[in-house]
Amino acid sequence: MAAAASRILIVEDTPTQAEVAGALLRTLGLEVRVAETGAAALEQAQAWRPDAILMDLDLPDFSGFEAMRRLRAEGVEAAIIVVTAHGSVNHAVEAMRQGAVDFIVKPYAKARLTVTLQNALEKRALVTELREVKAQLGRDRFFGFIGASPAMQAVYRTIESVAASKANVFITGESGTGKELAAEAVHHASPRKGRPFITLNCGAIPRDLLESEIFGHVKGAFTGATDNRSGAAKLADGGTLFLDEIGEMPLDMQVKLLRFVQTGTFQPVGASRPEKVDVRIVSATNRDPWVEVEAGRFREDLYYRLYVVPLHMPPLRERGSDVLLIAAHFLAAFAREERKRLRGFERAVEQVLAAYAWPGNVRQLQNVVRNIAVLHDGDRVELSMLPPMLLRGATGQPVAAVEEAGCPLVDPKVAEIERSEPPYPAPTEPQAVLSSSPQTPFAATPQARPDHEEVFQSLAEVEKRHILAALDRADQDVPRAAAMLGVNPSTIYRKLQAWRGEAASSRH
Amino acid sequence: MALQCERWIVSAIDPEIAGQLASDLPREDFVRIVRTFEDDLGRLARILETSVANGDEDGYRRAAHSLAGAAAAVGARRLEQVARIAMDHRNPADPRALALQVRREASEALAELAALAEHPPGAD
Repeated sequence: MAAAASRILIVEDTPTQAEVAGALLRTLGLEVRVAETGAAALEQAQAWRPDAILMDLDLPDFSGFEAMRRLRAEGVEAAIIVVTAHGSVNHAVEAMRQGAVDFIVKPYAKARLTVTLQNALEKRALVTELREVKAQLGRDRFFGFIGASPAMQAVYRTIESVAASKANVFITGESGTGKELAAEAVHHASPRKGRPFITLNCGAIPRDLLESEIFGHVKGAFTGATDNRSGAAKLADGGTLFLDEIGEMPLDMQVKLLRFVQTGTFQPVGASRPEKVDVRIVSATNRDPWVEVEAGRFREDLYYRLYVVPLHMPPLRERGSDVLLIAAHFLAAFAREERKRLRGFERAVEQVLAAYAWPGNVRQLQNVVRNIAVLHDGDRVELSMLPPMLLRGATGQPVAAVEEAGCPLVDPKVAEIERSEPPYPAPTEPQAVLSSSPQTPFAATPQARPDHEEVFQSLAEVEKRHILAALDRADQDVPRAAAMLGVNPSTIYRKLQAWRGEAASSRH
Repeated sequence: MALQCERWIVSAIDPEIAGQLASDLPREDFVRIVRTFEDDLGRLARILETSVANGDEDGYRRAAHSLAGAAAAVGARRLEQVARIAMDHRNPADPRALALQVRREASEALAELAALAEHPPGAD
């Protein structure tokens, strides 16, 4: 029988009848339990979750009809088959009306019982499958993701499809779309979930340390190598190695990575013997990898090794009402964290959030909501609490018009602070910034300027100010600042490195 | 009173039902069913007799109902029919006589089932 391991609950108060049914069902390879009363049936159905119930209508405590009604009321979804005696077919018809899938007349032969059960179990399996498919199509949570849009459903389906395989996954998408979250989801949905998930940001690690970070080194391999140290490849053995910003990897390192991807073996820096590991590689970049190949910045052979299963993370502007789902999630989290009352958004605010393009994607939305939760309080987020950038983006009106319409450009509290303190100096050299004490409060509205002359900053400027302010708040503790900003510390290290590079080139 | 049980059913058990069970199931399962049936008969017959003695009509009909179900499950057709007569409110048959007949039919059904368990169809 197809449903060999299915569970069948026999609800029958006469032991002989229960014994006959049980013996026949066991010969079909089914798991069987017996309940002698309606109450026992309810208890067993909840505790044991049978796939089908063979229900006698005449029970000592209450009727089978009543038992069926209570089972359905308690959410029991087992296929119920009513067992009836000759002359009780009307009862069976009534039972069918009340949700039984079939009935069987006693005494029944094994063949009849087999067919009846098989039909009932197949019907139930189809109903369950249909419900699961519907749930998958409409799910709004998935391994840390929030979103019910068709674009995200496609992402969820791809992750589920590839999770069980060892195939390498290549994630693309704009900054802030959740590439690292996707990599984690691939890992957690896979059979490797109990093993390590190791992240390495190829763009955040100095070129000369990258090989050691990936493959490890032995004591004395280079100046400062005072001990043997395992690299990410070794640490990820049995699990998943996530190579973020793979496009930043220098070409000479790409050769070594290619050998590792091809053979699963690597040689720690300074070691004489190769080591072998079992690692699944998930890579990510916010660039177009094929453009990088064509530009000669990324090896074509490595591209083909890593780009086995492509996974594209959609930008927030293509995710429809996911914006509101995510905003609501962040608001609840940050309001709790900041001990604020904020419980939702006014309808007008929702319209603004939905209309805005979110060039910084989920990360930008997160920062905006955090900003609101830090600076404001009340039952609901009002239009006046939004950063002006959003209002302008949503309405298309110039900032002045928005302000005239009653939406202040700057939060009064922020304006007050900014009026009393000098504008935050744009840092030119990260080291200097790290040792200075910027005056701008953490999470101040990026647009806020006392004179309103320059009302628009680039996203990069906003991000830089925000990160440096967070670092200042965290006493230059990068991991703590990263936690405050809800990003990986490697993101901040990478940014600092980039700014350092910019500062150095501006000096030359 | 001549009971309305169909005495033309020569055998106490229906070979189509009981024989099918005996051939469908492993012997130990069939034997266990016969033993369970024997336990049921003893228990239900006692309840039937006690209910008759106490004038407990509800208990009497419930025991008869259970007897009919148990008998039908193993193909004890004659016993099932007697039990169904006992279940029927409109039937004027004397409950004491019915209780006695239940005992008699039960014994015969058990004997034939035991024989069937000893020599299941196709065993020879």
